[in-house]
Amino acid sequence: MTFNLRNSVIFLSLAIIILLGSLTIFSVTSIDVNSFLRFLLINIFVILFVLLLFNQINLNRIFSFGLILFLFNILLVLSVEIFGKEINGSKRWLDFGFLSLQPSEFMKITYALFVIQYLRFYGFKFSRFRSIFLLSVLFISALPIIYQPDLGTGLVYTILGLMFLFICGMHRFYFIAMGIFGILLSPLIYTFGLTSYQKGRIISWFSSDQTLSEKWNILQSEISIGSGGLFGEGFLNSKQNEFNFLPEADTDFIFSIYAEQFGFIGVFLILIFLGCFIVMTTFLTMTDKRLTSDLSPYYIGTYCTFVIGFSFLLNILMVSGMIPVVGLPLPFFTKGGSSLLCFSIMLGLIFTSRGFLK
Amino acid sequence: MKDNKIQIYKTRTKILIGFFILILALVTARFFYLQIIQGNELKELRERNINTFEYIYPKRGRILSKDGIVLAEDRKVFSLAIDIEQKPSEQSINKLADLYPDKIKVENLRLKVSNSIKFRRPEIVIERLTQEDLAKYLVGGSDITGFSVIEGYEREYNSHPSIFHVLGHMGYINDSDVQYFSPRINEYNAKIWSKVGKSGIERVYEKRLQGQHGKRFFQRNARGDKKVITDISSFMEGEELSISINFQAQKLAYELMNERKGAVVVIDLQDFSIPVAISTPSISANDLRDISSSQYQDLLNDPTRPLFNRAFMGLYPPASTIKPLLTIFALNNEYTNWDETIFDDGFFRFEEEERIFNAWREGGHGLTDLEKALVESSNPFFMNLSIRYEKDLFVEFLKSSSFGSKLCEDCYPHQFSPLIDDDWKYKNFGKELYKGDFINLGVGQGYMLTTPLHLSLISGILANRGEYELPYLVTKKQNKLFINEDLTDEDWNKLHSSLVNVIYSQNGTGYRINAGELNLAGKSGTAQVVDINSREEYDEVRTNPLLRDHAIFIGYAPYDNPRYSIAVIVENGESGGRVAGPIAKEVLEELLNDI
Repeated sequence: MTFNLRNSVIFLSLAIIILLGSLTIFSVTSIDVNSFLRFLLINIFVILFVLLLFNQINLNRIFSFGLILFLFNILLVLSVEIFGKEINGSKRWLDFGFLSLQPSEFMKITYALFVIQYLRFYGFKFSRFRSIFLLSVLFISALPIIYQPDLGTGLVYTILGLMFLFICGMHRFYFIAMGIFGILLSPLIYTFGLTSYQKGRIISWFSSDQTLSEKWNILQSEISIGSGGLFGEGFLNSKQNEFNFLPEADTDFIFSIYAEQFGFIGVFLILIFLGCFIVMTTFLTMTDKRLTSDLSPYYIGTYCTFVIGFSFLLNILMVSGMIPVVGLPLPFFTKGGSSLLCFSIMLGLIFTSRGFLK
Repeated sequence: MKDNKIQIYKTRTKILIGFFILILALVTARFFYLQIIQGNELKELRERNINTFEYIYPKRGRILSKDGIVLAEDRKVFSLAIDIEQKPSEQSINKLADLYPDKIKVENLRLKVSNSIKFRRPEIVIERLTQEDLAKYLVGGSDITGFSVIEGYEREYNSHPSIFHVLGHMGYINDSDVQYFSPRINEYNAKIWSKVGKSGIERVYEKRLQGQHGKRFFQRNARGDKKVITDISSFMEGEELSISINFQAQKLAYELMNERKGAVVVIDLQDFSIPVAISTPSISANDLRDISSSQYQDLLNDPTRPLFNRAFMGLYPPASTIKPLLTIFALNNEYTNWDETIFDDGFFRFEEEERIFNAWREGGHGLTDLEKALVESSNPFFMNLSIRYEKDLFVEFLKSSSFGSKLCEDCYPHQFSPLIDDDWKYKNFGKELYKGDFINLGVGQGYMLTTPLHLSLISGILANRGEYELPYLVTKKQNKLFINEDLTDEDWNKLHSSLVNVIYSQNGTGYRINAGELNLAGKSGTAQVVDINSREEYDEVRTNPLLRDHAIFIGYAPYDNPRYSIAVIVENGESGGRVAGPIAKEVLEELLNDI
């Protein structure tokens, strides 16, 4: 591991985000300091464990398991239908007693690994067949997620998969074509492809009827955020949380509680740290002097960085009412095993690919 | 080729970095907008989320009759209401509808729930739960959420129909109520009271009866399982009102009417309060409480008009009962005196127009002076007088007798007897009053219309020798009024003795009343419902009960020291002396025995 100024800034930014995430989850769920420390320790432990694990494994070994991991992941997603537990009318979780996992969360990693294994074989040359094949695999593998039903995760998975193909250098023609098709097909998808629950979520975002509970959630979220003002109400002082006005405060809407406690200054700071982490990491990866013909570590590293960055921004756009409410976790904030494990693995991939740990 | 791949990778990473920074900037702007620009507004919304209040409703004041009977009081009842703190689920809505299939329609309930949440108002689902309903809910409703049994008050009236019109009733507030109360009650807040007085005492004394509401401030959480009361503002129970109605006499009067349409109004001449005011037919005020709209429509469309308060609103031609009042006018302006006589042959010939007016008695009364004209009710005598009336003096005299002005401040709804002057006739017929009109006006027909309340007051004016006050139910209006007259005591005595003779002389139109020791004085009247030009026509009309004449009687007793004045109207009762008079006698007897 090389310690220089740039790496220090990256690590510090990341550490602050993780610390603030743990503080916020603590402020939402409990006022017991022990549980906060336990939560922080679990966070750090999981992250470090994954990082160390990746340190021991050659990235190439991981890539060579791409297809198997991907298929296994799909199998897990399908098995949720049979063994999963249902929450809010949707089966997403596998319950292991000490930990409940959402296998669909991991699809965005395993798909990327599968793509790398597949393309490496062809020296990352996209033929028309390969492009269409990879796109088809992406869309088909998204279907079980969407029909869980979990439109949000499914959509995000698809978009992130496309982003990975974009990074890997698939011809821009496909992206343009898909953009046009997507716009043209969206009415059909809305009519035939969505359940009434999903339609309700979309309707609520466009309609101004505040009695719809989705709209109410958004309103309460905006109230939390706005109440923070410039300086915030102070740590542990979220009234919206104390009086239970914000639903899902420990998962999807946790950032609103953060914003209420720490104000615009707190939000601005965390966005600065996020920006530092994402931009510096991707920029440094891109300008690495060791770029060789095998770009796969760079592809996966850049991809994972952007996944963290865009997941973060999508969640914040959601809680601030800019996009419809789709159940998106906030990296290192949202309470939940899959989310933490998933983003830890991504961190592992980022640092392994950059060779920070070597 | 290799460089190309690196180049593509770098370009695309740059594009993604640019895109990321763009969204980052967008997010920053959004949070700046929410937290800095909208911050205070949103914070206020949060405080409203948490800090809320509910109204504390005071018990509405009781209404008592003068003889101490409770006419209206609030009783504690249990109702099933929507709990706005926990939104009822679709499942609970269906279950509740299943629990009370005959009381709840699912669609209505759903509408109520959405309104309730929209306006944050705990809408009532079932009013007044019976013991059985309550048991049903407690046993079968354990898994129903979002509803709660609340305690409240409900107006319970004395069920006797005689009292309905005076008391009025309560009903859900609507726009016209808001318009009515806003100027009358200081800082009227229509959102607080869901039910208000719709008519009668309940409406006029809404403010005093309702009392002062209080507020219970509390902090609550979204689930409603945490509630901390932070403050309670003081509240005041509604005022108890005692009204001037003598319930025993009121009941008696109603029963004497025996389902016939009409009204009885008595005024206590000591203070001009109203001890009896009934309108028949009527209903029990309790029946209006949870009446369906179609049942209410039926009541409105009922040809006997049970909801119409004839006592304060009904306009009837006073007929011969106006004669004593016009006698004062005629004597005062020297149109006649007690000595003038005419020959009454049963007709009055209006020579200017060559019109002939029939009088009620075939053959007439013969040689008639003023006293005989009053006692036997001679129309030709008064018609002969009325063509002498000067228009301005006549109108001024009617005005001084409270024609065209409000009689009673706390009678609601209230109609005043129209003042027949040129303006009135212009408005209704497009021309001035002319001499021929006075022939009918002079015998209380034609355009002349009075309410039973006004007739009772006129009777009081006669008894009280021209001095009077405005009648009232609760609050006395302190100012004495006088009619335009300057009669000598002798004139008054003669007038009074004529009115006594109406009852006690064998020729008197009220002799059949057999007033005995009541010492009644009065005047009967028979108001034509339709214009009749010949006796043949008259006989035809009589066969149709709805076209028969109205029987009217006004009077006061005891005549030597008048205490009560009365007016009785029996629609289509035909004979004032025989039909309306006996009712007056019995009611006055009841009142005078009570003293």
